[in-house]
Amino acid sequence: MEKGLKISPFSEQTNFFSAWSLQMNWKSFSSLLTMDTQQRRSQCPQDHTGNPETDGERNTPINRLMVIDSRIMESPEEAALMAEESEEETGNELSDGELQEAFAKGLLKPGMNVMVDKRKKFVNSVEGLKHCLADFRKDLPWPERLDMTNPPAEDILSKGQVTAQQASNGELDADDDFQREMFFYRQAQATVLESLPLLKMHGIVTKRPDDYFAEMAKSDQQMQKIRKKLLSKQMILDRSEKAKKLREQRKFGKKVQVEVIQKRQKEKKAMMSAVKKYQKGMTDKLDFLDGDKAKTPSDSSKKVTNKKGPNSKRKYKDQKFGFGGKKSGKKWNTKESFNDVSSFRAKVAHAKGGPRGKKGQKNSKQNKRPGKSVRRKMKSRS
Amino acid sequence: MAAFKRKRGELLSVNKKAKKGKIVVDQDNGEQERNDEVIVPAPVSMGKWTNKERVLIFSSRGINFRTRHLMQDLRTLMPHSKSDTKMDRKDKLLVINEVCEIKNCNKCIFFEAKKKQDLYMWISNSPHGPSAKFLVQNIHTLAELKMTGNCLRGSRPLLSFDPKFDKEPHYALLKELFIQTFSTPRYHPKSQPFVDHVFTFTIADDRIWFRNYQIVEEDASLVEIGPRFVLNLIKVFQGSFGGPTLYENPGFQSPNMHRRELRLAAAAKIREKQMVKEMQKLKRAEQKEPTCNDVTADVFLTPAEEKPLNIQTEAPEPKVMKKNKHKLCHQIRSLIKNLGR
Repeated sequence: MEKGLKISPFSEQTNFFSAWSLQMNWKSFSSLLTMDTQQRRSQCPQDHTGNPETDGERNTPINRLMVIDSRIMESPEEAALMAEESEEETGNELSDGELQEAFAKGLLKPGMNVMVDKRKKFVNSVEGLKHCLADFRKDLPWPERLDMTNPPAEDILSKGQVTAQQASNGELDADDDFQREMFFYRQAQATVLESLPLLKMHGIVTKRPDDYFAEMAKSDQQMQKIRKKLLSKQMILDRSEKAKKLREQRKFGKKVQVEVIQKRQKEKKAMMSAVKKYQKGMTDKLDFLDGDKAKTPSDSSKKVTNKKGPNSKRKYKDQKFGFGGKKSGKKWNTKESFNDVSSFRAKVAHAKGGPRGKKGQKNSKQNKRPGKSVRRKMKSRS
Repeated sequence: MAAFKRKRGELLSVNKKAKKGKIVVDQDNGEQERNDEVIVPAPVSMGKWTNKERVLIFSSRGINFRTRHLMQDLRTLMPHSKSDTKMDRKDKLLVINEVCEIKNCNKCIFFEAKKKQDLYMWISNSPHGPSAKFLVQNIHTLAELKMTGNCLRGSRPLLSFDPKFDKEPHYALLKELFIQTFSTPRYHPKSQPFVDHVFTFTIADDRIWFRNYQIVEEDASLVEIGPRFVLNLIKVFQGSFGGPTLYENPGFQSPNMHRRELRLAAAAKIREKQMVKEMQKLKRAEQKEPTCNDVTADVFLTPAEEKPLNIQTEAPEPKVMKKNKHKLCHQIRSLIKNLGR
């Protein structure tokens, strides 16, 4: 056959063969091998992929085998990828003939072959760098250079809390802004702490005297702006805090207000009742008030003398119904007071004054209620 | 390194001529000082300025305001710097070496802006020495209001380096370059004798982070002055603005490639969505195909037997209603009938 390649229909490509068996038998296949190219193209069933590459490769049946095999084995999604890759590969120009030779040598394996870019090599001549550094280096004394290489100072605040990142690999995470800036800050701090004694040793001053006026890197105007900005920030913070506090106060303020008013009312009520008690003479104690002591003694003495005499009835009524004055919403005659029969005196009511005799009779008669006719007469008269 | 050796006598004479005024002033000051007993060190002690480092800081055309401010800030912070006009882009980079020679500078910081978006920075040692190209990101200038610190104009800085700078040869070379470029020479005429700020160079995420802090107290409490920026190393060259490449950063991706990747990712997403939509359409179209006549569907069909035609000539008999004796209506009816009788 062409190019010394062996035909092995019963090789690894059994999948392909089983598919083909549906459409033709071994005899027709063997006849294929001997036929001319044009005749073959007309006779064989159309390849449904219709790939221009395969169409061109129908020179040898082996090539067709190889190429179509790979086409059948892949999934429909990969077909699109392969099409793309084949388009890209046209630039690299590995011709079909070369592919065939490579397959023959065993460099290519059956299946999908993808072109991979050769990795770009980056220049890193360590020798060159070291040589250059040796040439370039200026051995200046430290006071000229003022440089320091040091790891960052220990962080006092976060000693307890070790971040997971740092614990795991000790690498600085550039995306964590706060951690990164703190790292830089601590590095600078460590430098300063180490350098200050050295500077003192070399006689380089670090502290500026107060009356030393010199031009600064940032103008005074700039510093004023900065100060204003800081102040405004502070003010905004304060204002927001105030507003928060007010809001909270309003919530509780109402409650507190109500409570206070109620308390005051209670106190007033208690005070008034205590005062009135004393006024009526119920209690002799004056220790419920201090301020009103001056007022109450003078009044209370007069009133006591006046009201002792005719006050029995009043006393009785007061005892029963309260301390006089308008009672807001309290009834004079309630169910309880009506049903209260404890003050019922049968003798008084039915005039049972027996042992008194005539006096008693007289009295009883006096006290006795007149009859109906008499009452009617009385009534008509009046 | 000194440009060329001068005779000692020459040096002194040159200095004397340049600084006569200052010397007089110093003497007067000295008298006053003796009276007040406040010792202020003179900024320049005669003939002591030996480390003749001069840095040329300039840029190309097409820089934006942030870059311009950054350049100005570097010039204020480094008293040993000189400025120059913008360089035309048509000139090649090697021209910069000549510019440096004209200005008598031995270091150079050159800012190059591309597409008005990306800023590249070259730091080089002018005549023969190594140079490095960086991509500058995250620029914050002195004028930002969050940078609250301040320092003397021209005071000498402390330089602070990450220990990672000693671990790799290219970082070691960069460290040496930074030290020589950024440290103000001692007894420089424009410098102030006090040391009140620190430059920090740290390596994180394969980039070099630059910060500038003011030393407020002796107990190392610091406030940031600014500026701040991030340097992403691209290449280190053996010569100044050219020469063989000594080191190339494998992790560096040019900003154009980065933007391209983003755009491709977005495009790929949209393409995927479209493909999914199309697949769905195809599936729906397939499903709507009318099912072919199934050949085997008629296998079990048995035709029905023909029924004989029955033509009715006579009317059908009236139906006899069957009485449901249990129904209530029927019971009532029967009752009524009985009553009627």
